[in-house]
Parts: sequence; C-alpha cells; structure tokens
Amino acid sequence: MAIIEVVNVDKIYNDSDVKVVALSGINLMIEQGEFTAIVGPSGSGKTTLLNLLGGLDTPTNGKIRVGDVWLNEMKGSKLIDFRLRNIGFVFQSYNLIPVLTAGENVELIMQLQGVPAMQRKQVAAEMLSKVGLADRVSSRPAKLSGGQQQRVAVARALASRPKFILADEPTANLDGKSAESLLQIMEHLNRTEGVTFIFSTHDQRVVSRARRVILLEDGKIKSDFAQ
Amino acid sequence: MSYLKMAQRNLWRNKRRTAITISSIFFAILLAIVMRSFQLGSYSLMIRNAIEQYYGHIRVQHPDYADDPSLENTFEYDERLLENISMIPNVKTVTSRLETFALASSGNITKGVLVLGIEPESEKRFSNPEHFLVRYRLTQDALDRLEKINALTAQTREVILAYLGESFTNSAKLVRIFEDEQVSADELYRVLDATKVKGRFLREADSGVVISSRLATYLNVSIGDSLIMLSQGYQGASAAGVFPILGIIRIPNPDLDSRMVYMPLALAQNFTYSPNRIAYFAINLYNTSDEMQKATTYSIQVRIADNELEVKTWQNLNRVLVQQIESDNQSGKAFLFLLYIVVFFGIYGTVIMMVHERMHEFGVLVAVGMNKLRLALTVVLEMLIMAFIGIALGYLVGLPVIHYYQIHPIRLTGEMAKMMMDMGFEPLMPMAPFGAYVVWQGVSILVMVMLACLYPIRKIIRFKVVDAIKR
Ligand SMILES: Nc1ncnc2c1ncn2[C@@H]1O[C@H](COP(=O)(O)OP(=O)(O)O)[C@@H](O)[C@H]1O
Repeated sequence: MAIIEVVNVDKIYNDSDVKVVALSGINLMIEQGEFTAIVGPSGSGKTTLLNLLGGLDTPTNGKIRVGDVWLNEMKGSKLIDFRLRNIGFVFQSYNLIPVLTAGENVELIMQLQGVPAMQRKQVAAEMLSKVGLADRVSSRPAKLSGGQQQRVAVARALASRPKFILADEPTANLDGKSAESLLQIMEHLNRTEGVTFIFSTHDQRVVSRARRVILLEDGKIKSDFAQ
Repeated sequence: MSYLKMAQRNLWRNKRRTAITISSIFFAILLAIVMRSFQLGSYSLMIRNAIEQYYGHIRVQHPDYADDPSLENTFEYDERLLENISMIPNVKTVTSRLETFALASSGNITKGVLVLGIEPESEKRFSNPEHFLVRYRLTQDALDRLEKINALTAQTREVILAYLGESFTNSAKLVRIFEDEQVSADELYRVLDATKVKGRFLREADSGVVISSRLATYLNVSIGDSLIMLSQGYQGASAAGVFPILGIIRIPNPDLDSRMVYMPLALAQNFTYSPNRIAYFAINLYNTSDEMQKATTYSIQVRIADNELEVKTWQNLNRVLVQQIESDNQSGKAFLFLLYIVVFFGIYGTVIMMVHERMHEFGVLVAVGMNKLRLALTVVLEMLIMAFIGIALGYLVGLPVIHYYQIHPIRLTGEMAKMMMDMGFEPLMPMAPFGAYVVWQGVSILVMVMLACLYPIRKIIRFKVVDAIKR
C-alpha cells in the first residue's frame, strides 16, 4: 500500500477578494522509499501541495491518506501529534530554534516524543554524524552555515523516525556546493536506509537527482515520471 | 533540554529587552512598596495621634450613648468588669471617664466646656495629659509684670506680643520663639521667670480642675483662680460648683484645647449628681491591626455580655478620621493602579514584540510536532521568570528600605514638623512594617503579567502553521 494517497484534491484560497486556485484535481500515490521531486515554476502550487501532504493545511476538496490514516479525520493537537510521530519536515530556511544547539535541536523532537534523555543524546549524535556534522553537536545555529543548518534540519527530521520527510525547497537559499552536498546526504539516506523524501525545487541540478519527478503547472499535475 | 533552560536562553537572547522588562517590574515593586509603606505609616501616625492620645481604640458604653452622649446614657461603674477587660492580652490600658457639657465662667466671661471626669492615675497611663502640662504662659499679666520691673527691649516685646496667649510645656519651646532675635540671656531668664506657671496635674482626691490652655486664655484665668461651672446633672438635677484651677495643659488638638476641663472622676460624679456612674471605658490596644482589633472587640463583647453595654471601635465613633484615611488610601491605591497599568502596557508591548519576532519559530515548532498548549506554556514560563526576577529584586531592595525607615523614622521638616511638635510629638514619620500590602504588590504584578500573557496564548492558539512558516 502506498504511504501517501491523494484523492481529487483541490486547494482554493478564498481569504482575499480574489479567489486563487492553488491546486486542482490532484491525484497522487507515493510509495515507501521514494525520492521524489515536485517541480514547477514559482506559484505553481508546490508549497501548497507539500503543506497538504504534511497536514499543515487542509484541502478545499478531496482527501489525503498518510499511512492508514485519513488526515481530514484529525484535528488540532491530535493532528500535531500525528505529524510528530509520522512526518519529518525540512523548510526552506530558519528551520532551527536559535537558542538551542544543533544537538538540542535534534533532541527536541525526540523530547516531544517522550524519548528518555540518555537515548536522545545518543540518537542526536548519531543523526548529526549521518549528515556529516558529528563535530557540531554543541554549535548554535547562528554559528553554522546555511548548508549546515539545513543538514541539521534533516538530522532533526530523521530523528523522529518518520514515515517520510517533506522538504520544501531545501536548497533554495544555498550556494551550489552546499546544495550539492545536502542532496548527496539525502540521497545517501534514501539509498542506504530507505528514508522516503519528497521535496520541491525549481533547481535543475536538484531535479536531475530525483528518481521521480512530478511537474506542477497552475495547480495541476502536468507530468509525473520516473528517471 | 528542560523548558526552564529553554526559557532562560530565550530571555538571554534579547538581553536588553529582558533587562528593560525586569527593571520596569523592579521599579514598580520598589516604588509601590515604599510608597505604600509611607502611606500606611502616616495613617498609623494619624491614628496614634488622634486616637491613642485621647479617644482610645475601643470604647465600652451604653448602647444609646453614641447617638445621645448625655448623662442619662451613662452606666454604673463596675470594677470587676474593668478588671476583666484589662485582663485581655491585647488590651494595653483601660480608663473610665465621665463626660458632660457645662458652662464655665470667670469674671464676666462664660464659655461652654467639655467636662471630662477622669481617674488621674489610669488616665496618665492612657493618654498621659500630664505630659502636656503647661509650664510657661505668655499672658498679658506676665508681660505687665515684666515691664513693671524693667523695660524690655523692643524685639522681645514684639515677640511676646506676637505670641501673647500662647502656652508652652517646657522652656525649650518658649525659648525657640526668640531664636531669630537678638535677645540677651539675661532677658530670656527674666521672661522665663515671669511666665512660669506652677500648675500640677490632678490627683484622685482633688476638688479642683485642670483646664486646657486656650480655654485658660479665653477665660483669662490662671493657676489658683476659680472657675464657676453650671450644668445639668443626672436625671435633670441642676449642677453647680466652684472649682479652683490646679493646672493648665496644652492639648494638641486645638478644638479640644479650647474647651476642656479635667476633673477627678469622683468630683465629676459629685458635680453632676451621678454617683458611681461613668460614660465609657476607653481602651487602648497593643496590636491595632484590623484582625486583632476585631478579635479583641469580640473578647470584650463576651465579657460584657451580662451588662447592657456595647463595644464601639474608634472607626465607629470617628467617621471623619476614617473617611479622611479612606479617601487618602483610595487615591494611593488609584496611583498604584495607574502604575500597574503602565507596567502592564510595558510588558504587553514586550510580549507583542517577542511574539512577532518568534512567529516563524513557533510555526516550525508546531509543524514538527510541538503541541500549541506546551508552546504557550514555554512563553508564559519566560514571562513568569521575568516577573519573578523583577519582583524578587524589588523586594530585595524595597524591604530593607522600609525596614530601615521603620527603625530610623524620617524626620519631618517645615509645616508638618511644626504641627507635630505643637501636638507634642516628635516630628518623626515611621514607615509601616512588612505586611500584607507588600505581598499584594507582588501579586498585582503577577496578575498584570498573566494578563499580558493572554496575548501570546491567544496568538499561539489561533495562528495557522502555514502562515507562520511563510514569514
Ligand atoms: N495563503 C494564501 N492565500 C492566497 N493565495 C495563496 C496563499 N498561499 C499561496 N497562494 C497562491 O497559491 C498559488 C500557489 O502557491 P505556492 O503553493 O506557494 O506555489 P509555489 O510553492 O509553487 O511557488 C500561488 O498563486 C499563490 O499566490
């Protein structure tokens, strides 16, 4: 069974005077272990789609299943708790809590999950070493480069042992080399540990690394192919 | 990573803002407790001056006496009752008095006076009128006597004329009126000598009276003169008597000073044909806090249950003073309220800035799975830490200040000081000691902080994650 199933989803923003159709008629299945890029020009609906998949926003029509739960059946703190235990997030930038060290940022999510302190420390160190930052455990975000911060965000997402990780333009604010190295790490985690990644991008070099590419245009899926 | 530690680091993050918030709380607390301590100190001073020195904290009297203080509403003196009341631990002194109105005349001057029958010994312990015994009086007689022997210098004459009719309880006070003038020691001695008054205070068996200084001036009488007094006695009998003046006292309260005649209780009872009757027991307490006064009132009520008497507190009997204190107290409280409103808006502004700066962070936290309630709690925790530090610092500085000024009362100067010295008190203004009011200032700040916290709580509960992250 696919870990994500999107059925006839529309997203219409109605909050201003003009009605914006951000997504329309989206149907989508994502399997365990995918390394999928959602691409398309700016304003095509990539962020909107990722937000819906992550349960951060609700579709206007249609429904979304994650694992064996339909997201529309959950609300409030139940939904928050579901995200905590099932979905990893990496945002475009400023992912980290500035007052916490890299290690504490990674630990935080486990603390919310109720993981005992000893184990948290150990796992955090392990996750940071997986993203190549074993030596930056006690650095504050301000002391890390943009690329390093994004890698910490990946480590944090990993630490919650999610079903999949959603990354909205994770490389948008990175220089070429950092973007490259972040992608390498994500790819490596996907290959060796089977971590499912769904990320949006409009960077061609990033797209070329994805194994499946979903192209959005004006809120519709224009093409969906494996490469 | 405990939430406490996280809160602490968040506070450290914007040091200046945290410092400003904490210091605003600190200054508010400091100002509030010092100001309050002053105010409450001044009230107890007023009470001490007005109540303890004459009125008494509590009176036991006939139920109708408050409305109609006539001899008909007096009661039979009961020694056992008095002893019973004095045995209550919080009772400092009890004294019995008989009050009546009379016309007093000397020569062809007549004046309505207040006759106060007292037990000289217990009255000394109670209001100590002897303390105000007049030793020097600047009367026309004294001036004439001075001038007869030897002409006074112009300045001395002028000063004496300016103060003519005044009475002084000791030589220092008399000498002080000459302090701005060039008066020779010799002349001062002459003045002191000529104005000396040889009065004394009452004794139990005396058949004379002690009168107040303004009354003496008005009636133009002195020690050794006699006062003719007319009054209505108990049950309509007409009372009349001639009483030699044994002493003059200067009562701080000008109104009382213009019409007071002290008599030994037995003499007053004789004069008014009310043998063994008294108007009330006046009672002073050790601890005058509201609770203790209430408790003592109750104890007295229990002890007088068999008599047809009632207990009145000074608050019952002195509406004017109570209202005076109350209105001042209200304006003090209103000021504090304003102060706290200002502090509230300061904190509120801080919170708004803090929330807006951290909205993205809040979005991330809730996105990755932090419960909103928990998030709100971490923010409240930060606010509370600031509040507690500010309050603690305020107390840390404020409490020693009020403690110091309680032990070393502030010496008043100017008009206020003069007034108090005239009243026979040292012009000292003690601050109120630690009390519930201190705690209330902290509580008020906490309430303000909690109110300010409603903003982030509301904001956190309402915000949409997607909007927060976008920022
Ligand atoms: N909160 C919103 N209110 C109104 N319109 C929105 C909102 N969020 C996104 N949109 C609109 O929805 C469309 C899709 O936006 P988005 O998903 O952010 O595209 P992308 O991520 O591909 O740039 C755009 O036209 C955008 O202006």
